[in-house]
Amino acid sequence: MKQLIITLCAVGGLFAVSSTFAQADTPFAKANEEYATGHFKEAIDGYETLARSRQWSATLFYDLGNAYFRAGDFGRAILNYERALALEPRHPEADANLRIARDEARALELAVNAPERSLQLMTPNQYTIAAAIALWVGIFGIVILISARRRSAGLIALSILSLLIFAFAVAAIVWLDNGNKGSALAIVTDKGVEARVATAENANTVLALPPGSEIKIVSKRGDWIYAVLPNNLRGWISAKSAESVRL
Amino acid sequence: MFDVRRTALCTILVAALTGFFSSGAVFADSPSVTAVLSNSEVAVGETVRLQIRITGSDAKPPGQITVDGLDIRQTGTEQHYEMNNFSISQSVIYNYTVLPMKAGKFKIPPQTVQAGGASLRTPELALNVSGSAGSSARGNSSTAQQSIDPRKIAFIELVVPKAQAYVGEAVPVVLKLCLNPRVRFQAIDQLDINAQGLTVQKLTKSGESMEAINGATYNVITFKTAMAAARTGKFEIPAMEVKAVALFPDRQPSTRNPRGPRSPFDIFNMDPFDDSLFGDLIGKPHDITIRSEPVTLEVKPLPSNAPANFSGAVGNFTMTAEANPKSVQVGDPITVTATISGRGSFDRVNAPSIEDDRGWHKYPPSSKFKQDDDVGISGAKTFETVLSPNEKKQTVPPLAFSYFDPVKEQYVTLRSEPVPIQVEGNALPAATLSAATANPQPAPEASARPASKPQDILYQLTELPVRSRSFTPLYARSVFWMAQLIPLLALLGTAGWKIRQARIDNREAQRIAALQQEATELMRKLRRKDTSPQEYFSQASRAVQVKTALARNVDPNVVDVEVAAKTFGLDEGERAQLRRLFARSDEMRYSGAQNGAGTTTPQDRHELLEFIESLRA
Repeated sequence: MKQLIITLCAVGGLFAVSSTFAQADTPFAKANEEYATGHFKEAIDGYETLARSRQWSATLFYDLGNAYFRAGDFGRAILNYERALALEPRHPEADANLRIARDEARALELAVNAPERSLQLMTPNQYTIAAAIALWVGIFGIVILISARRRSAGLIALSILSLLIFAFAVAAIVWLDNGNKGSALAIVTDKGVEARVATAENANTVLALPPGSEIKIVSKRGDWIYAVLPNNLRGWISAKSAESVRL
Repeated sequence: MFDVRRTALCTILVAALTGFFSSGAVFADSPSVTAVLSNSEVAVGETVRLQIRITGSDAKPPGQITVDGLDIRQTGTEQHYEMNNFSISQSVIYNYTVLPMKAGKFKIPPQTVQAGGASLRTPELALNVSGSAGSSARGNSSTAQQSIDPRKIAFIELVVPKAQAYVGEAVPVVLKLCLNPRVRFQAIDQLDINAQGLTVQKLTKSGESMEAINGATYNVITFKTAMAAARTGKFEIPAMEVKAVALFPDRQPSTRNPRGPRSPFDIFNMDPFDDSLFGDLIGKPHDITIRSEPVTLEVKPLPSNAPANFSGAVGNFTMTAEANPKSVQVGDPITVTATISGRGSFDRVNAPSIEDDRGWHKYPPSSKFKQDDDVGISGAKTFETVLSPNEKKQTVPPLAFSYFDPVKEQYVTLRSEPVPIQVEGNALPAATLSAATANPQPAPEASARPASKPQDILYQLTELPVRSRSFTPLYARSVFWMAQLIPLLALLGTAGWKIRQARIDNREAQRIAALQQEATELMRKLRRKDTSPQEYFSQASRAVQVKTALARNVDPNVVDVEVAAKTFGLDEGERAQLRRLFARSDEMRYSGAQNGAGTTTPQDRHELLEFIESLRA
């Protein structure tokens, strides 16, 4: 038995060491090296390659945002910080760097109303889990209530509470998904972007959007996006000049 | 007899009605005559219509109407019949055209007509004829060149409301293309105003109407535009010349007998009903040139004391401003909407300036113009400027807009009221402030502030998580719904178990109920006195077994003396009594009815019944 434990520990240690050495050779590590040596363009290429291969993580997008920031592309820096926060809403480094990038770019933010701000205490995924648990607890409670000879008041209260929690969680998911920071959130990545009243370059301007500004895509028509803009405005912008946060 | 009288009455009635209607025409309105001129004020060469209306039967036209200086010719006759209250009236209208040959005041004398056997007289009519350009044309009608005056076919009027204007001032211009309605135009070239040194907007057609100009009726097509001068000086808008193709006969009056019979439709010495004209229906195409008169505009310079924010707007304007939202955090955008409305050169109206933009970050404004007229010199131009406060502010700073008022001949500066707002949060860092403030004259405290190092981003992370993440919401992933199978299966299992349990409970209840019923039945039989000893002891032992089975929830057939005694906690005496009961029952069952049949007395039965009833768990 003792020999078996020693063998297992040895195998585990070897695996850990090998994985450490293996990570040093990964594209991510190489991109980090490029970043550390000031080759931000090459670092961006390395991170973007990983992103294109769908190896998504908050760390990857955070580092990519840093590389864009160093390269002076504040719009894409903000976009990638937002992506990191979309994957991991409690990412402190991404949150801090996002603020700095916004200040540098003078980016405009979409206003978040009070209900949406309150609902952001939990993420949509957390609301989903809460809704699932509450639903099943409620259903089990109802089944037990139906089959029991004597109906407990506590069980009735628990069932009702569970179903109320389920309804609230579903409403929160819908609200957050359709809110200004929901699935339609996009970031202006180009410079000199102006939202217009119609789908024409010579149409009147609604709002000048610095890179990194937030917009909420309402609909798409050809090469144009109709979007909710900061300050409760709406307008058309070129589809090439903005990217969705959620891939 | 009765039928004869009735037939005679009907005949009289029909005859009376026939007589009434036949006399209706006879007794219609009495004969009358009226005479009217379509216009009592005309110019030489212009025609007037004269109508003589005679009401009554057997009307006869007046004779030739002759007035010196007027050429009066009959053009047609109209007959009218009217029925009113069973009365039929008949009238005849004799139409004439009157062509004045010279200026002056003419009187068409009363004409005698015959109607209804009576002699009637028309009233005397007066006609004032003024001299005009047409008279010269008429007077020189013998010359072919002047017989068809292009100016009478079509001409252009260029209406410039003012002779003096300022540099940059938008002057409205109205252009009237006057076409003779009796001439058909095949093609008219594009109208265009070419004036050197003046910026002229595109001509916009604003309407079409019939107007009387110099005594003649024209189809007037009105165009509008506006012009502005970029420099001072005296500008002449040259006479416009537009080529057109008009259809009219090229037969000259000189070929006709000037004193011969003339058609009343002969205008400009052209008679569309002339045989030669009917040859090509409405005439032959002629290239003509439609001209206007030149117009002069003197452009004055603007005064030299222009305000700093003057962008060249000349006119008369008003300004309103508002800001939204009113409550923001530091750094949040506020849209300031300024609307400049009025009349003037809107192309030179720029966004109003912010008088004090310290502590604000200003983004480029957007603008839209909504014009109220056809040429864009009246309307409202709206500017939206996004401002972002870098520190706590109480109001949005006033906006200022300057223009030159050509009526007052001075510069006017409009200032908006400061819009109260509420800005919360801490001031932005100095680094962003320095980028945000674009005030050319920074405040002393702002200039004294040391330039701090721009904020730097945090470090790079080097540890990638083992598993990659997805942007797909949890509820949209298949694994989430697969996971829901676990509680679903548990729910189904629980439900199935509960249903099975309910069924089992149901069977047990039925068994207990049957035993209780059996126990009751046995006790009832034991109380009867006519049962045989064999049945009595058998039922008594069975009753004990059933009561024990009910108490212990077991099968009554497996109950023996010991189980029953233990169940009911019997003492030795009761145990012996119970043992005897079961022994007697077995004896009775297996040894036959004759053995000991008479050994049970009513006293024994009573005691045994009491004993069984006393058994309680």
